Amino acid sequence: MRFECRGLTFTYPEADKPVLENLHFSMAAPGFNAVFGPSGVGKTSFARILAGGSSGPGGNTLIYENISTILYSYNQERLPGWSCTGRHLEKVCPSKNVDLKKELINIFNVEALLASRFSQLSMGQQNRMNLIRYLIQDFDLLILDESLANVDEALRETIILTIKEMFPTKLFLYISHNLMEVAQFCKDILVLSHPGKGKGAVVVQGQNYKTGYTAAPQAIDRSMLEIMNAV
Amino acid sequence: MLFRRIYQFLIVYCLGVVGLLAIKYAAGLSNYVIPGLTLIFDTAHRMLTGYFLDVLNTLSVAVLGQMVSIAMAFFVGILGRKSSWAGSFIKVMAYNIQAYPIVALAPIIFILMGDGFLSRLLIASMICYFPLLLSVLGIMASPIKDIEHFYIATGRMRWQLEVKIRAFENLNKLTTVIAGSSTLAMAGTIVAEFIAADQGIGYSIRIALYQSDLACILVALFSIGIIISVYQGILETVGEQMKHKWFAPKEGDLI
Amino acid sequence: MNQKIKTTTVIRAAFMVFCMALFFATAPAFAGETLNYRLKWLFNTSVAGDIIAETGGFFKKAGLDVSVNEGGAGKNAIKELELGYADFGVASADQVIRALEKGADVVVLAQLFQVNPMQWIYRSNRPEIKALSDLKGRHIGITFGGNDETIMNTLLAKAQLSSKDVRISSVRFNFTPFLKKQVDVWPVYRNSQGVILEEKLAAENEQVKFFNPADYGVSFVANSVVTSGTMMKKHPDTVRTFMTALLSAWEFAMDPANEPRVLAQIKKKDKGTQDDIRQKQLEATRPLIKPDKKTKIGVIDAKAWQQTESIMIKEKQIKAPVDVTSRLVGPTQ
Repeated sequence: MRFECRGLTFTYPEADKPVLENLHFSMAAPGFNAVFGPSGVGKTSFARILAGGSSGPGGNTLIYENISTILYSYNQERLPGWSCTGRHLEKVCPSKNVDLKKELINIFNVEALLASRFSQLSMGQQNRMNLIRYLIQDFDLLILDESLANVDEALRETIILTIKEMFPTKLFLYISHNLMEVAQFCKDILVLSHPGKGKGAVVVQGQNYKTGYTAAPQAIDRSMLEIMNAV
Repeated sequence: MLFRRIYQFLIVYCLGVVGLLAIKYAAGLSNYVIPGLTLIFDTAHRMLTGYFLDVLNTLSVAVLGQMVSIAMAFFVGILGRKSSWAGSFIKVMAYNIQAYPIVALAPIIFILMGDGFLSRLLIASMICYFPLLLSVLGIMASPIKDIEHFYIATGRMRWQLEVKIRAFENLNKLTTVIAGSSTLAMAGTIVAEFIAADQGIGYSIRIALYQSDLACILVALFSIGIIISVYQGILETVGEQMKHKWFAPKEGDLI
Repeated sequence: MNQKIKTTTVIRAAFMVFCMALFFATAPAFAGETLNYRLKWLFNTSVAGDIIAETGGFFKKAGLDVSVNEGGAGKNAIKELELGYADFGVASADQVIRALEKGADVVVLAQLFQVNPMQWIYRSNRPEIKALSDLKGRHIGITFGGNDETIMNTLLAKAQLSSKDVRISSVRFNFTPFLKKQVDVWPVYRNSQGVILEEKLAAENEQVKFFNPADYGVSFVANSVVTSGTMMKKHPDTVRTFMTALLSAWEFAMDPANEPRVLAQIKKKDKGTQDDIRQKQLEATRPLIKPDKKTKIGVIDAKAWQQTESIMIKEKQIKAPVDVTSRLVGPTQ
């Protein structure tokens, strides 16, 4: 499982300058990776291009090996409002993933919310519910664009560690602004900087903590510094 | 809500009659020009029951016409929602035809189809069809990305689901345009009957006009107003119940 | 200070009442002001005399400035008399009688149509209607709420036929059911629609006959010249001058010798009708206005008015008698 980006450049239709310029990087092996960068650097644009696959706007600058199904999830998604969230999850859950769904519901702490309509949930609850329905699908690469926004820190940690444990053969790209979080829990961190800076895309190694980890503050600081230098 | 509509109508109606009576007595006009209260009551005593039945007759045609129109609007709106050549053509045609006064076609329809129920039904449908179609087209052609994305990405999107999502997200808009089209259908059916039909309240008003009987017209307007108020009250109640069923309550109780 | 405000308020109120009184007061008709004459329907051959009175200079010669205004679906001359928008008008007898029942102050100055043009047309190849009993089993068109309904009900009652003995269909503005032979006997104005239909069918080699209620003793008076009682009382000279000019114009219009000039004047107002049809309509109008040389145009048939009132009472068009003959101020037969 691998994907590579060879010289990806992307400009919005009416923009003067490209938002992504000549990106070169590769990510191999399954794992919980991240995309990090300042606001407006093009993380979401990059994620959407990636989700489009080779037939999308990325074209032949994107090369995938053993990655056939790419899903992209973002934090403003909504479930339909005509029935309760539990019913929606039931409808979109493949029969082989029913137990997985139950487990995720339990870990993500949304069991009490299954009888509620999506609009009745808080933003954090909504994001969790949305993430569950992606996790129970078949995918090779799942892009999470701020999918844990508005979730408290402790629960976010639980969720990330659970994903890493329950989906060891899958590739995740986690887009987040939380520097410490990506430094602690992510394996490869793709750091994007603005095109004018000439730094391109740099892959920094994170600490990739798993369940039962012991935090090493100095190592975390080193990762964080590396990331900030790459921005 | 229903009673509020009725007494609001009664207030407006009574104000209108009082205004007319004020003009009558100020100008010293005879009952032939503006009928007095006694004549209005006498006429009401004679004609009200008949007029109520006529209004119900017209209303039944208008309601049925509106339902046909809603079905047609959804059918064409769903077909035309894609930005294909057919979809654009349907949109442009609907915008252009909407400008024509459909009731002007009423005489032609009556010539071709006769005086019966079908002609009135067709006119009632046509009158509210185009505004409905434009609303439905607008709604069906506007993707709700935040909801549809998941289903498209996971290969689960079907046209039925797409229509359901877009209709649900725009339910307020749809109920408003449907409620508005009910009044349009009723007004249009009355005008069509007035021009060329042999039953319904529009037809009765035409006879009253032949006979220059303003008292009959006032009584007819009263019966139209009461029944429309009741009908709109019922529509509002049904709309509220639908919203209550489909939409989740957001307010809680302070204990 | 308060006294001053009160006085100002009273003065303003009085001024408003005065203005309203002026606004609603009947406009006086005196020499130099335009008199408004409201017809019953649109300009067509049926109002030849009214048109000639204006365009032929009859009113002008009499020293009157008269504006002859065509009528239409929404217009009612008697209401306009009362509201002050018209000084003279044309109304049918049923309109006059209904207005009198409701307290309108209207008087009849002249009866233009001596024979009611409201008749029924049918194809000659259908059984001829010689007696009223011949209506039995026929498919008859009537305008519900119109005069033809009242007249037909009277005819059926006279023939002792009930609604079950005939088939009645509602008539609107177009002739399609008659042309398609769906309706057998169709109501027309003899001198306008009757002429058009006759021509249309003649083009298809079909001949027609007309069924005239007057031939069976049912005289329902048609268009007449009216004014308000107030006008009559306050300006009798103006009324007299107006009527003299108008009836002279009608005599001129109905004279076959003046036909080309009359048709030319009608054509200016009624542009939609073909010339040959217009000529035939004028020909058909003459015997209705002036049935014979001895008849003076405009003479009032008081008996016919009484019969019209009786028919309307019987047909429940009015609740009680109105003594219409007391309102006939023009010359009577």
